[in-house]
Amino acid sequence: MSFNLRLGIIVTSILLLFIIFIILKKGRMPIKYSLIWFFSSILILLVGLTPQIFINFSKKLGFVTMSNMVVGIFIIILLLITISLTVIVSGQKKKTTLLIQEISLLKEKVNKNEK
Amino acid sequence: MSKDSKNKKVLLIIPAYNEEANILKTVNTIKDYNKKNNTNYDILVINDGSKDNTSNICHNNNIKTIDLVHNLGIGGAVQSGYKYAYYNNYDIAVQFDGDGQHDVNYVKNIIDPIIDNKADFVIGSRFIKKQKDNFQSTTARRIGINMISFFMRIVSHKKIYDTTSGFRACNKQIIENFANDYPLEYPEPISTVELIKKGYKVCEVPVKMNDREGGTSSIKSWKNLYYMINVILSILIIGTRRYK
Repeated sequence: MSFNLRLGIIVTSILLLFIIFIILKKGRMPIKYSLIWFFSSILILLVGLTPQIFINFSKKLGFVTMSNMVVGIFIIILLLITISLTVIVSGQKKKTTLLIQEISLLKEKVNKNEK
Repeated sequence: MSKDSKNKKVLLIIPAYNEEANILKTVNTIKDYNKKNNTNYDILVINDGSKDNTSNICHNNNIKTIDLVHNLGIGGAVQSGYKYAYYNNYDIAVQFDGDGQHDVNYVKNIIDPIIDNKADFVIGSRFIKKQKDNFQSTTARRIGINMISFFMRIVSHKKIYDTTSGFRACNKQIIENFANDYPLEYPEPISTVELIKKGYKVCEVPVKMNDREGGTSSIKSWKNLYYMINVILSILIIGTRRYK
């Protein structure tokens, strides 16, 4: 693997870790949702630092090139993240609905009492 | 009508979204019916965040109305009605459309089985008896309804003819059930399957429906395959659940 590519990978992963850190520091994401991003960034970092291990591993698994394996792994990770996000959003929708209903019922009651 | 029916508290839940053209007429028809037949059906309009004059019309005419602070869609709107029925201790809740499709003269027919303890949940059905003069919706829609009916039968072992009818009545137990949990998407067929799976007695009685006088159906286009796929998948998933 060329030196430039390795450098690019290392810089990208450190940038990613930094972005996640800043987001966490500002309190815009809870730790539990950031874990998967942390692990993903560290995995990218490892690819940059020790490519040989990954090259050997990908050959054993039958990938033609290591990059195919890395891309494949990340697509799977992204899919899992998207699924979990859908679950989170659906939960939010349920709670919003509940709030809208209860507030509207309360409002009707309050208005009736005021009259 | 059985003797104790007068003692039952009955609530008509009327979901309304941009129904300024029909809502007053619908409510007045019910009020007239109450006077003529000495019945006491309470009316509750759920204004689902309408952008037109629905809310003003209701309040100016002293119609009991809950204005949802944001649009929720038919499922969330109707559930608000069930919550109201639950908090206010109603015995029977009837879903009734605000667009003039449903005929108040049939309310008695659909609540009678509940009063007589013959059913927990009654669906006002367009298709149970063949009537030529009856508004039965378009061919495409009927094919869709029959397909949903087919899958519901597979899952629940019960034939429901009019799977998407919004003219339904339920008893106290189901009011509580719906107040706590009601499907937000495709509520009619899905809630029916859930009730049958939970072991409630569900039955259909024939009703006549009018062609809608204004407003648009919550089911916009039956040609839209998306709706069918969603409903059928939902029904099949419910089939895999274990209740009780």
